[in-house]
Amino acid sequence: MVKRRQPSSRWFAERGWKPFSFQKAVWQAVADGESGLLHAATGAGKTYAVWFAALDRFAGQCASLPTSAGRGKPAMAPLTVLWITPMRALATDTARALQAPLDDLGIAWSIGLRTGDTGSAERARQARRLPSALVTTPESLTLLLTQANAREAFAGLRMLVVDEWHELLGNKRGVQLQLALARLRSWQPSLMVWALSATLGNLEHARQVLMPAGRLVQGHDAKDLRIDTLLPAAIERFPWAGHLGLRMLGQVVEQLEGSATTLVFTNTRSQAETWYQALLQARPDWAGLLALHHGSLSREVRDWVELALKKGQLKAVVCTSSLDLGVDFLPVERVLQVGSAKGVARLMQRAGRSGHAPGRPSRATLVPTHSLELLEAAAARRAVAQGKVEARQAPERPLDVLVQHLVSMALGDGFDAQDMLAEVRSAWSYRDLSETQWAWALAFIRHGGLSLTAYPDFRRAEPDAEGRWRVPDARLARRHRMSIGTLVSDASLTVKFWARGGSGSLGSVEEGFIARLRPGDHFLFAGRTLELVEVRDMTVYVRRASDRKAAIPRWNGGRMPLSGELAEAMLAELDAADPGMYQGPEMRLLRPLLEVQKAWSALPDKNVLLAETLKSREGWHLFLYPFAGRSVHLGLASLLAWRLARDTPLSFSIAVNDYGLELLCASAIDYAGALTPALFDSQDLLPEVLASLNAGELARRRFREIARIAGLVFTGYPGAPKSTRQLQASSGLYFDVFRQHDPDNLLLTQARQEVLSQELDVQRLRQTLQRLQPLPLQLRSIRRATPFAFPLMVERFRESLSSEKLADRIRRMVSDLEQAAGAGAQEPAPLTTLMVEDDTREPGRARKARRSKDGRPRPARQRS
Amino acid sequence: MASPPPSHISVKVAGTELCLLAEKALWWPERRTLLIADLHLGKAAGYRALGQPVPSGTTACNLQRLDALLQRFACQHLVFLGDFLHSAKGRTPQTLAALAEWRTRHAALPITLVRGNHDRHAGDPPAGLGIEVVAEPLALGPFALHHEPCTHPQRHVLAGHVHPAYRLRGRGRQQVRLPCFLVGEHLTLLPSFGSFTGAMTLQPGTGQRVYVIGDGGIWEVPEQLK
Repeated sequence: MVKRRQPSSRWFAERGWKPFSFQKAVWQAVADGESGLLHAATGAGKTYAVWFAALDRFAGQCASLPTSAGRGKPAMAPLTVLWITPMRALATDTARALQAPLDDLGIAWSIGLRTGDTGSAERARQARRLPSALVTTPESLTLLLTQANAREAFAGLRMLVVDEWHELLGNKRGVQLQLALARLRSWQPSLMVWALSATLGNLEHARQVLMPAGRLVQGHDAKDLRIDTLLPAAIERFPWAGHLGLRMLGQVVEQLEGSATTLVFTNTRSQAETWYQALLQARPDWAGLLALHHGSLSREVRDWVELALKKGQLKAVVCTSSLDLGVDFLPVERVLQVGSAKGVARLMQRAGRSGHAPGRPSRATLVPTHSLELLEAAAARRAVAQGKVEARQAPERPLDVLVQHLVSMALGDGFDAQDMLAEVRSAWSYRDLSETQWAWALAFIRHGGLSLTAYPDFRRAEPDAEGRWRVPDARLARRHRMSIGTLVSDASLTVKFWARGGSGSLGSVEEGFIARLRPGDHFLFAGRTLELVEVRDMTVYVRRASDRKAAIPRWNGGRMPLSGELAEAMLAELDAADPGMYQGPEMRLLRPLLEVQKAWSALPDKNVLLAETLKSREGWHLFLYPFAGRSVHLGLASLLAWRLARDTPLSFSIAVNDYGLELLCASAIDYAGALTPALFDSQDLLPEVLASLNAGELARRRFREIARIAGLVFTGYPGAPKSTRQLQASSGLYFDVFRQHDPDNLLLTQARQEVLSQELDVQRLRQTLQRLQPLPLQLRSIRRATPFAFPLMVERFRESLSSEKLADRIRRMVSDLEQAAGAGAQEPAPLTTLMVEDDTREPGRARKARRSKDGRPRPARQRS
Repeated sequence: MASPPPSHISVKVAGTELCLLAEKALWWPERRTLLIADLHLGKAAGYRALGQPVPSGTTACNLQRLDALLQRFACQHLVFLGDFLHSAKGRTPQTLAALAEWRTRHAALPITLVRGNHDRHAGDPPAGLGIEVVAEPLALGPFALHHEPCTHPQRHVLAGHVHPAYRLRGRGRQQVRLPCFLVGEHLTLLPSFGSFTGAMTLQPGTGQRVYVIGDGGIWEVPEQLK
C-alpha cells in the first residue's frame, strides 16, 4: 500500500497537521480489519480518527476502481459506512464534518442523513439508493431495517460507527442498537464496528457490548479541567432542597459579566426557565444576549440558539442536559453548573463544553443552590481530581425491546425463528436469553401471551405458510412503524400564540401541568410570561402577559440520582470533617451547619449507622443517612417500611433524597427497638423488595413505560392525538386490570424487574445493606429536625407503603379530618343502623336462600 | 377496628332518601330504583379489537357485580345514567352474548338507559335486550336524570360522566385516591360503575359533600376548613 495516496495523510499534510498517535492507532487497526472502542475527551479529534480510517480503507479502493456509470460524474460509492448518533440534533453537524474532507480530496462519496426529521423527498431518494455514508439514530436505523429490500440496500456496508456510545450504552436505545447491529452482522459477518466514548468507569464493558473482540484505543490525556465553586457569602443552616438558589443570582451575574460566552447548566427545565427570567430581570440590558435552551422548546428556537452560540453572538445560554452533547461551541469560554451535577462524568462532560480552542483549559464553576450542595461540590472536585468516574451497565434482556424488535424484523423480509434466536443471542444484552423467554416473546407477538388469558384478537406477527414470521396486517404494520422507539414521555401539548392565521410553535408542555391552570392564568415558558387563552385539539393557545408571579411548568423526569462515586466522595468529606478537619473553602463555609448537626445529633458517618427519631404532630419519623443516592434510598426505604409493617399493620409515608431517607408512620412505632441487624438483612432480598413494591405504588407508575415499549399502550402517531391522550391516561388502569385478570403476564414481571434494576438499583441496594448491617447503631432522639433531616421532612414528593387494610386507613384518615375540624365542627351524620336489606327486602327473598341459589362468586361483598 | 366497613350511607337529597352504596351504585328506596352510571361495557373488547391487549374478564366482572346488587335489592327499576356501551368497536359478539344472557336472568326487570356521549357513538343497545333508551334529562320524582352534569331549573340533577374521585389525606402525610359520590344542593354525581374505567380527581366546592368508596365500604369525608 502506498502511504502517500491515503486520504488521511494527504489531508493532514495539506493542512500541515500532525495526526495524534491515537488517530494513527485507529487508522492502523481499521487497516488490519479490526473493530474497537476509542475513548477520548470531546473535541479531541475522535471523529476524524474514525472517519479517515474508513476513508483510507474503503475510499482508496473505491477511487481506484473504474467508475461504472459512464464518463460523466463518477458514481458515488454505495452505502459503506453507517454513523450512529444518539441525538437527531447532532446529525446535521456530524454530516457537515464528514463532508468537509470529501470536498477537499474529491472523494466520490455522498453523505446522507436519516432521522425523524428527514423529509419525504430525501426519504424517497434514499429508498432508490442510499448514500455512501449515512448518519442516523438507533430508531431510524431500525426503521430502515424494516424495509423489504433492506438486505440488498445494506449489502455494501463495511463499517458501523457509534458516536457518543456512552450515552446509549446504559439504556434501551442502546439495546435497540445492539439488536440492529446483530442483524447487520448476520448479513455481513466481517462488519467493522467502532464506538466513540467519553470517559466511563468501565470502558472494557462498553467495548464488549458492541463487539466480541476489538481494540481499546485511548485518546490522549483528558484536557486541563478546572473546577471551582462559587461560594455564597453566608449559608443557611436549614438547607431546603426545593429552594432554587436564586440567592446566588447576584454573584452569578458578576461571573457572567467577567467572562465571554458562558453556558449556565441547570438540572431541570423549570430551573432553567426560572434562572433565565431572573437573569433578565437583573440585567435587562442583556436582552438579546441571553438565551434559553431546553428539550421542550421547539426545534426552531433551539436551532436559532445553537447557531447564535456558534457565531459567538451570545453572552450566556441557560440550558439543561439538552446541551450536554453535541457539536462544539467554540466561543464557549466557561461553564456554570447551577446545583449539583449529580455525577462525576456528567460534570466532566459539561465542563468539557468550554475552552475548546487549543491550549485553553475547560473551566466549570459549581453554583450551590442549597447548603448541602457545598458538600457535593467539595466531593465532586475530589472525585474529578482522583478520576473516579461512574460506570454504565448495559441493560440485561429487556423483553419489551425484544418484542418490539421482533415485530420490526417481521415487517421487512420476515424472519425464521431459529435463525433469529441465534441472531438475538449474539447481542450482548440477550446472550443468556432462555428458551422460555424466547418462546414467550414469540407467543406474545403472535397472540398476546402464553397464558390462558391470551388475546386472540391481538396479533402483530405470525408465521406464514413457509414458517417465516411476518406482519399480516398492513394497518398494524403502519402503526408499528410509527411507534418504534424506546423514549417515553408523558402526553404533551404544543404551545402556540393565539392569533388568527396561526403561528409557529413555542414548544411543548406536559398535560399534567396545563390541567392545573385555568384560562387567564399566567405561566412561565420559553423565557416568556404567557397567559393561557384556551386548550383545544392538543394545543395550548397563549398570549403575552406581563405578570411576575407566574406558575412555572414542572416537567417530569428532571431528577437525576446522585451517582455512587459522588456519594462515596461525600462520605469521605464528612469523615474528614468529623474530627474537626474542615479542609477546602466549601467545607470551611459549611462548618457552622455541620457543627449544629453534631451538637443536635451527629454527623453521618461511614463507620456508624446514624438514626434519628422524631415525634411530631404528623407522626413518628425515622431518618437514616446511607448516602447511597435517591434510587437506592427509595428501595431501601420501601424494604425497611415493608419489614417493619410485616407483623403489625402500619402505614408509612416515605421521603428520600440523595443523602438519606425518612420513614413517617401515622401510628405509634418504636423505631429504636425495631432497628436490629435483621432489619438490614440482605439474604432474601429479591422477593422481599418485590413484595415491598407491590405494597407501594412504584410498579404501577413504571408500567407506563413498559406498556408503551411492548406495544401494550399505543401512544399514537401524528394526526391521531386523541387516541394518544386516551391511552396514555389509562396506563395505570391497564396495570390494575392486568394485575386482576392476568397476573402472570411476563410484561408485568418485567415491570417489576425494571423497577428493581433501574429505579431501585438492586445491586447497589444489596451492597448498601451489606455495608449498613454490621455498623454499630448510633440512635439519636431529636427534638426538632436537624440540618440533614430538614430537607427530607419538607420533601413533598412522597411514596407510600401500607400493610393496613384500606378500610382501616380510610377510617383513620376520616377520623383525622374530624379531629382537625375540631369540636366546633358539625358531627358527622350517624350512619343509619338499619341494614338496607331490612328496608327493602320482600317476603320470600330471604338472604340465605339467595346465597345458595347458584353459587356464583360475589366479588363485591366478599368481606362480610 | 374489627367491624366491617359501612356498606352504605343514607342521605336526604331533594327531600328524598337516597342510599349511596359502597358498590358504586345509588339506591332509591322509595321507588325501589337502582341507578348505575358509566358502565362502559365492551371497553376492553374494543381496545382488543384495535390491537391493544387487555385481559378479558372485565365484562363478566361488571355483570356479576350487577347481579349481586339485583340480588340484594328488590329492584323495580334499573336506570343507567349513560355510557352503557363504550364504543361501536366494543359491540363484539362475545360482549353482546354475555349481555343477552345476563338479561334473561333478569327478564322481568324494567331497564332504562339515559343516553350518554359514549352511547351516541356506540349506538343504542340491541332492541332484543328490552332496554328503554331515552335522551337526557329523564324526569323521575324530584330528580332529573342526566348523563352529563348540568343544572336543571326545577329538579335536582343526578348524573355520571365525570367518574369523580377524591384524594383523601390524613396524618403522617397519608393520602389515597378513591372513587366517590359528590352530593351538592342541586347536583349529585355518581362514581363510575365499570370495572375498566378511570377516574378524575375533583375538589369539592362549598356545600358539596364527598362520600369516598374503598375496600367495600363507603365513608363521608368530614367537611374541611377552607
